[in-house]
Amino acid sequence: MNGIKRTGVIRDYDLRSSSVKIGLVFIYLACAVILVVSVFPIVWVFLAGFKELKEFYGTMQFLGNKSFLPKAFNIDYYIDTWKDMKFHKYYINSLWSVTGSIVTALLFNGLLAYGLSILKPKGHKVVYSLVMFSLLIPATTFITPLFANLTRLKMTGFFTPLWLAAGANAFYVVLFKQFFDSFPMTMIEAGRIDGCGPLQVFSRIVLPLSKPILVVVAIYTINGAWSDFLLPYLVLDNNYRTVMVKLFEYRGANNTNDLDVLRAVVFSILPPIILFFFFQKKLTENIMTSGIKG
Amino acid sequence: MKKSILTLTLAFILLLAGCGAPSNNDNQPTATPTATPSSTSEVEITPIGEGLQGDPNLTATIKLGVWPSDTAAESEIAMHEGFVAKMKELYPNVTIEPFHYQYAVDTYVTMASAGNAPTIFQPWFTEPQRLINAGLVAEITNELKEKGWEQYMNPGYKRMLSDAEGRIYGIPRDSYGLGLMINVELFEAADLMNEDGTPKYPKTLQELAETAALIKERTGTPGFCLLAMDGAGGWHFSNIAWNYGATLETYENGRWYAHLNTPEVVAAMEFVRDLKWKYDCLTADPTQENWGSGMTQLGTGGAAMYFGANDAVDNPTAINGLPVDKLALVPFPAGPKGDQYMLAGGTAYMFAPNATSDQIKACLAYLELMGKAPVLTPDSIEGMKQDAARRVQDGIPVIPRIQAWNNPEYTEAELEVVNQYQNIDMRFYQDYFDTINKGALRAEEPIMAQEMYLELTKVIQRVLTNKDADIQKLLDKAQDNFQKLIDEYVNDAQ
Amino acid sequence: MIDKNSGKYWNLKNNINSWLIMLPSVILFAFFVWVPMGESIVMSLFKTKGVSLEKFVGLDQYIAVFKDPNFTAALRNTVSYVLWSLVIGFLMPIIIAVLIGETTRLRGLFRTASYLPNIMPGLATVLMWRSFFSAKPSGAFNVLISYLGMDARAWLSNADIIIPLIVVILTWKGAGATALIYMAGLAGINPELYESATIDGAGIWRRTWHITLPQIFNLGSTLLILQIIAVFQILYEPLVLTNGGPDNASISLMQLLFNYIQNASSIDYGRASAVSVIIALMLLTFTVIYNTLNKRRESLE
Repeated sequence: MNGIKRTGVIRDYDLRSSSVKIGLVFIYLACAVILVVSVFPIVWVFLAGFKELKEFYGTMQFLGNKSFLPKAFNIDYYIDTWKDMKFHKYYINSLWSVTGSIVTALLFNGLLAYGLSILKPKGHKVVYSLVMFSLLIPATTFITPLFANLTRLKMTGFFTPLWLAAGANAFYVVLFKQFFDSFPMTMIEAGRIDGCGPLQVFSRIVLPLSKPILVVVAIYTINGAWSDFLLPYLVLDNNYRTVMVKLFEYRGANNTNDLDVLRAVVFSILPPIILFFFFQKKLTENIMTSGIKG
Repeated sequence: MKKSILTLTLAFILLLAGCGAPSNNDNQPTATPTATPSSTSEVEITPIGEGLQGDPNLTATIKLGVWPSDTAAESEIAMHEGFVAKMKELYPNVTIEPFHYQYAVDTYVTMASAGNAPTIFQPWFTEPQRLINAGLVAEITNELKEKGWEQYMNPGYKRMLSDAEGRIYGIPRDSYGLGLMINVELFEAADLMNEDGTPKYPKTLQELAETAALIKERTGTPGFCLLAMDGAGGWHFSNIAWNYGATLETYENGRWYAHLNTPEVVAAMEFVRDLKWKYDCLTADPTQENWGSGMTQLGTGGAAMYFGANDAVDNPTAINGLPVDKLALVPFPAGPKGDQYMLAGGTAYMFAPNATSDQIKACLAYLELMGKAPVLTPDSIEGMKQDAARRVQDGIPVIPRIQAWNNPEYTEAELEVVNQYQNIDMRFYQDYFDTINKGALRAEEPIMAQEMYLELTKVIQRVLTNKDADIQKLLDKAQDNFQKLIDEYVNDAQ
Repeated sequence: MIDKNSGKYWNLKNNINSWLIMLPSVILFAFFVWVPMGESIVMSLFKTKGVSLEKFVGLDQYIAVFKDPNFTAALRNTVSYVLWSLVIGFLMPIIIAVLIGETTRLRGLFRTASYLPNIMPGLATVLMWRSFFSAKPSGAFNVLISYLGMDARAWLSNADIIIPLIVVILTWKGAGATALIYMAGLAGINPELYESATIDGAGIWRRTWHITLPQIFNLGSTLLILQIIAVFQILYEPLVLTNGGPDNASISLMQLLFNYIQNASSIDYGRASAVSVIIALMLLTFTVIYNTLNKRRESLE
């Protein structure tokens, strides 16, 4: 990492001044604070899960206990919660939900944005306005009519409605469209001259050049599909319930306490965190190259 | 000892039998015993009837909303798996789809309107009238009559579960009475035990405040957990207000009236204020305490006392770690003038609006296997025993239920099971049941109780977070808000 | 070059093909978003029973919402959430981006760490913070401040600070991700700009003022409106942390809506729909004003 060049206001030649050097020390200190604030609560929740109830609440023999560290790293507490909640089942369900959502999110939102950004057939502006408009309306407000319609069509129970819903995400369409808007039209034109139809242009020219935005939307979809709970809660049968649905139910259940919930929180954040550490470089770089531009 | 408990509990159950459930015509339950306690020499459990005969012609698929959650004890799930196996034998053409469902208004209305609700589910007693009026539950009159269960329903519950024309839509499961739960470990630590080993518990609300303050002084642990989040805050408070002599709703000349700003309610609210600002005996932030966190506080020794009911004794113990013999349940403390009510509520079984007759019959058969029906059969007795055995194994106090049915044989049989499996010192519960026995149970206020609780909770929150809050003014506002709601949704609704 | 808007580029056949390509997505949008949205608007004009329409009542539901004693609190709080998020939520990512942008060593680590909270599911985050800010002396935040010699406090029931506190929690989760976008923008600044400015005698502060901040301003205007729209719809944070309390101090418009569909005897989908239409109209008005101003600004430049 030492090889990174200075890209900020402070240039290498500024470092000759000692006051700038001191300033830089403060900048590093501030960054360290940012790091600690970002990470500490997450570390805390992992540690809290190792405590026993009385230790966590500081009651009875633990009165006045202020240690963030558990008195012992007893993994049994986690194992018990895992078993009680039968988490493995919900992990697999979430995996299904996420995988299907990625496919539809990329395909349908990508195609729509392609149409709106590059093909621009007559009347596309109406669709675009509608898409933009739906960004403004809170999804929660029309979940009831949606759910009633889904049931009428007998589409509830399995993951299908969740997968399809991921294919209609205004935010992803906007992300795609912004990316496609900056696409060199000469390349599209070249494809057209070669006799490609719109679909071929998409698959041969647009897609291969869209990797950064595909990665970004895929990651957002993973995050979104993993985190969503209201629609899944309503449509999924018991057998297909996901981790977040479980967490949502668990929170209000009569037979749980705060520590159980915190351990469930740990289980629900573990996969995203692991995934993040594998892909963080790709993710941060791609967001930086393809993110929303002003 | 055993025999006296049996007699006692039997007596209170019979008294309760006439105890009204919320209905639109009387908000005061009337205690009208419908039978006299029979002498209870040696109770022998003899099944009446041969039990379920099975029926290969009964064809239905039921979405069983009474299934325990995945997070329930394995023994409980295993028990239900056993019931399912038995159902399969008796009714080969009934398919059971386990569907754990915790009733909540929003999800239920959505599911029921969409035709997707569980075939059978368990709403609490505040719900039936609303669901019936909204057309969101199925009628079961014929199925009940066929089973002969209808005759055992006590009139109060039957009214609660029927519409104006007398059609029945549900059956009661069990009920509860609000009392005071006690963490005996903390009472021991605070040196508040009688010589005979029972806790010196507060008999009045005044004593509750003093005892709580004393416990905090002696142990450093808050003496009392008061709820001030969600509707639960107002729910507990309504009981305090009653004991201060308040009546929160009345029915006059065809209209409902709220009374949230009377001198009695103000006095009760001043008591709440004193708990915080005079006695300082509450947990750190009551506005973050709801039903479940209160149970955790009591169970883990975060607070020594908490308002709780007989149907929730598993919560401080098995779920939150309090040893089964360190929990006591005593009567809700009396008010300054000796008024002593204990809020009564309960749970019913109801059915999805689109449930067919066969589906309902299959569900009723399942309830019978579970031992939740008013019939004594070998199966239902076995169901009760399994449940008691499970409680012993999991460290949950085995105490009598407050019965929802009027069937003396059934009640006796269940008490006998309770006595067989007893795992606690009954003296820790005796006064609770005795007080209920004296007629202390009082049904929740009948109209829009949940909305009323939310309004009251807001006032409690303000009083607990602001020492100088103007109680009269806050209650005036709550009264105004709540009366408007009643007018709109009840008095002036077509 | 091709004039993208002339319609000459794609002939009729291609026009049809283009629509066919978009059709499946349009159908999905219609089914999952537009039709239910339309149904909501219709519903807001009716008295409802469950989700079925009972009686056309015109604007009565809207009037009832405005008269609801909780509406004023909800509206005031929602505005307050937005304003606080402008102070805390808008500035924080910029500060983070600028600071991290000045580092060389460990830059990747800082960037990763600040992004980390963003990948946590929203519900998990809120549940975590609820315990973190527990009022008990054993609550994590209370323990932290006890090391500074401060007394334990009931953070979530303090009406004066609950909204900023919730905004801090929102910011904790979102700032790193937004900062990343700013970092991308800042990294895109041509270094020669800085260098020539230096030659002209500009110090670090002047360079920041004249080069860095304008770049941020360009990016920020888009991010700002997205943020305002998002914060305006805040629901789960107050719902889980405080349930709108204490005494309505943190109730938002969305929670008002949520209460209409979950509160016991007064389930009222018509009224809930009216709130959603009100929210939508407010956001729409806001967006239109914003766009007009923005266009005027651009044309001035």
